[in-house]
Amino acid sequence: MTRPTVSHSGAWHFPEPQVSTLAGGMQVWAFDLPGQHIAAMEVILPTSLTAEPREVEGVATVALHCADEGTLSHPDGRISELLELQGAALHGSASQSQTRLGGDAPAHRLPAVMELLAEVILEPGFALGDVEHHVEMQMAAFDSRVASPGWVAKQALRQVLFGDDAREGRPAAGTPQTLGAVTRDDVVAWHASQWVGADATLVVAGDLTGLDMQAALAPLEGWTGTGALPSLASAAGRPAQIVLVDMPDAVQATIHAGCLTVGRRHPDWAALKLAGHAICGAFASRLNLDLRERRGYTYGVGGGFTARRTDGQFFVGGSFRVDVAADALRRLLDGLQLAEPFTAEEVEDAKRYLVGVAPLANETASDIARQASVLAAVGEHSSFVNEHFAALELPTAGQVSAAFRTHVHPDAVSVAISGPALTLAPAMRAAGLDPVIVT
Amino acid sequence: MTDGTRLDYELAETTLDNGLRVCVQPDPVAPAVAINIWYEVGSYDEDPSRTGFAHLFEHLMFQGSRNVASGEHMALVEANGGSVNATTSTDRTNYFETVPRGALDLALWLEADRMSSLAITEANFAAQREVVKEEKRQRYDNQPYGNLLELLVAQHFPGDHPYGHLPIGSMQHLDDATLDDVQQFFSDWYRPSNARLVLCGPVTPEEAFELADKHLGQVPALDRPTHTASSEPSLPARNITTHGAVPHPLVYLSWPTPPAAHDDHLPLDIALSILADGHTSRLHKSVVRSQRLAQEVHAASLPHLRSTSITTLMARPTEGITTQTTPDALREELHRFAEDGPTGEELARAVAQYERDWLLQLATVEGRADLINDAWLTYNTPTHVNTHAAELAALNEDAIRDAVRHHLVAEPSHLHYLPSEVSS
Repeated sequence: MTRPTVSHSGAWHFPEPQVSTLAGGMQVWAFDLPGQHIAAMEVILPTSLTAEPREVEGVATVALHCADEGTLSHPDGRISELLELQGAALHGSASQSQTRLGGDAPAHRLPAVMELLAEVILEPGFALGDVEHHVEMQMAAFDSRVASPGWVAKQALRQVLFGDDAREGRPAAGTPQTLGAVTRDDVVAWHASQWVGADATLVVAGDLTGLDMQAALAPLEGWTGTGALPSLASAAGRPAQIVLVDMPDAVQATIHAGCLTVGRRHPDWAALKLAGHAICGAFASRLNLDLRERRGYTYGVGGGFTARRTDGQFFVGGSFRVDVAADALRRLLDGLQLAEPFTAEEVEDAKRYLVGVAPLANETASDIARQASVLAAVGEHSSFVNEHFAALELPTAGQVSAAFRTHVHPDAVSVAISGPALTLAPAMRAAGLDPVIVT
Repeated sequence: MTDGTRLDYELAETTLDNGLRVCVQPDPVAPAVAINIWYEVGSYDEDPSRTGFAHLFEHLMFQGSRNVASGEHMALVEANGGSVNATTSTDRTNYFETVPRGALDLALWLEADRMSSLAITEANFAAQREVVKEEKRQRYDNQPYGNLLELLVAQHFPGDHPYGHLPIGSMQHLDDATLDDVQQFFSDWYRPSNARLVLCGPVTPEEAFELADKHLGQVPALDRPTHTASSEPSLPARNITTHGAVPHPLVYLSWPTPPAAHDDHLPLDIALSILADGHTSRLHKSVVRSQRLAQEVHAASLPHLRSTSITTLMARPTEGITTQTTPDALREELHRFAEDGPTGEELARAVAQYERDWLLQLATVEGRADLINDAWLTYNTPTHVNTHAAELAALNEDAIRDAVRHHLVAEPSHLHYLPSEVSS
């Protein structure tokens, strides 16, 4: 039986939202997606963790997690019960440059759900017991993270890239020391100053047929206030380092490597996305084929380029058998030298994957809401998605190689490793790598 | 579909001449077509002295066949804008890809080529064995509480029971595996009569059956293999204390519960949601919020197709409270629940949450194809995806109470997982 050929269908487009502004200033992006009976909502607050007082870092996370424990109208957990009765589930995250509060719910129940969501946003009770409980939960979560080799390597890389003095270099959800200092007053003050309506965007996606959206959004009409916008400065470049965090009992070396790069508005961005896929994003990427498929050093190598608010980041990483980790890192860094430029076939495969997988990556209402909210959080319009897919078609293999070499200098790539230093350090030195050991 | 009781997906079934069962769920507006094959073989079918083999084999299915080079299967699907992967559980091995409609022909050809032939070399066999060992280290051995599941399973199944080990297997057994074992495993289990193919997406049943027959219909027919009969493990409830490099003391209560297809499975799931899902749950309100004996309580179940499943309740005790104290409070609440059952509102909340999760899983062609195959293996009919929501809507408070009364009131096994420096 001969191998079948593949026919490629027409272009896919990210849907266009209906954009409106509520009286209080909040922007609303409404995506009407017929057939999507489970709707998704995302409220994006463009607040930065740099606004957290340093001694109570983690307060943004505690405030977010406490918000749906009780409201003035429905205290003691009743608000969550009412949301559950509507089939709604909320989720959220407080990251470096935004706080997101979102949820999923049956689309036809959106009016009732929006009313309850508005209560969570506008009048959280922040009962003392709830604040104390969530402070404890975050402290426990910190202890769990520092026991996890993956998080340890990730945090060590952030520390190297941004430094201890930058908020981005420190744990997003605080440390036991800063969390222990968080009081109910801090939480209330954070909510009052940072959860402000005029700066926020609400993304709603789902089957909105027959829904009176104006009425559904009425509870948030009066949400006002401004001032939460963070500074737009890019992170300052720091010298590259190789850091080895000693975890004596670890049975693998977890390697995270990366550097800051240009971001989504740079003319090379599409070329970089293609390069990232070809070198470490795909299953058949250069590094995964070499380190996993050929050598069996790892369960997998992954990475690529991620856009941040104004700049971007290149990342590559994986977990490796301890006795081959130094060789793996050497090969990984050598691979970033791009001794052989990307071939036309590699770039064509990357284009077909990144463009072709878009309809799958945007299949559900929550996919659309999540993608739109990422853009809303950085002040982009959702049309960026279509512009980006059009741009992905253009670069030649030569341009992709040139972009990668311009923006990723192997000697400017920092590396963080978590694992047993006793074994790893001598092997790394023998491989010509000189790690700074952190115990 | 806004009312879960009226789900009505079109499902067309056929069996090819070689015994391969095929089900098509046409969805003309879906962005791509999901191809989902479940081979009815998992860690249950392994020799207990050769564990991890079904999963190792899953990796080898990507290492080449008669007309496909090593790694080419994944690379081809990705390069055509698709996603592809595979998973192994106790009872099945699942291979799936989701591709643009124009690549369906190619995807079925790829599946047919590896169903009918293997082309593993000593070199890529050796590399994949190392890859699987790194997967075990990354997912289990290098994680806090990484051996938890293994300890829980050992509390309920003797080591020589088919469910007495995890799909990831043991390092020693992986090291001992040979290329001959691989060929034998393929011959024993990878045949059309032991597989179910689900297609979901913009394809008509006629087109799908024709394409399936064109490619997979060419694989030679072999008798359907049989599975070892399973006994009830009948281990008594046991208490174990273990220490490790972990951040917190935890206690797990666990019970043997009915197999996946049993009528009590759904009411038990709903009961666990009412008892331990989130901050509105019974146990959170009582044991965490009111009595302050724990900081968090969670429930989970590990369903098995051919023997008892395992249901667990986990608690992380409050600072100053030992793992010996918290279980009494949990069991007291369970007894109360077994007497009084849930309130009408508790049941309504749990049903609304379950229904949303269920509809979300069905919202993608990949998720839907997988649920159809799950229904097919578990309930012997793919149409269970259409009736499941109605079963949910039909539950009442008594059914939920009875499920707890029958399955979670008995003495559970206790597993105390403590940081190395904590003595009890």
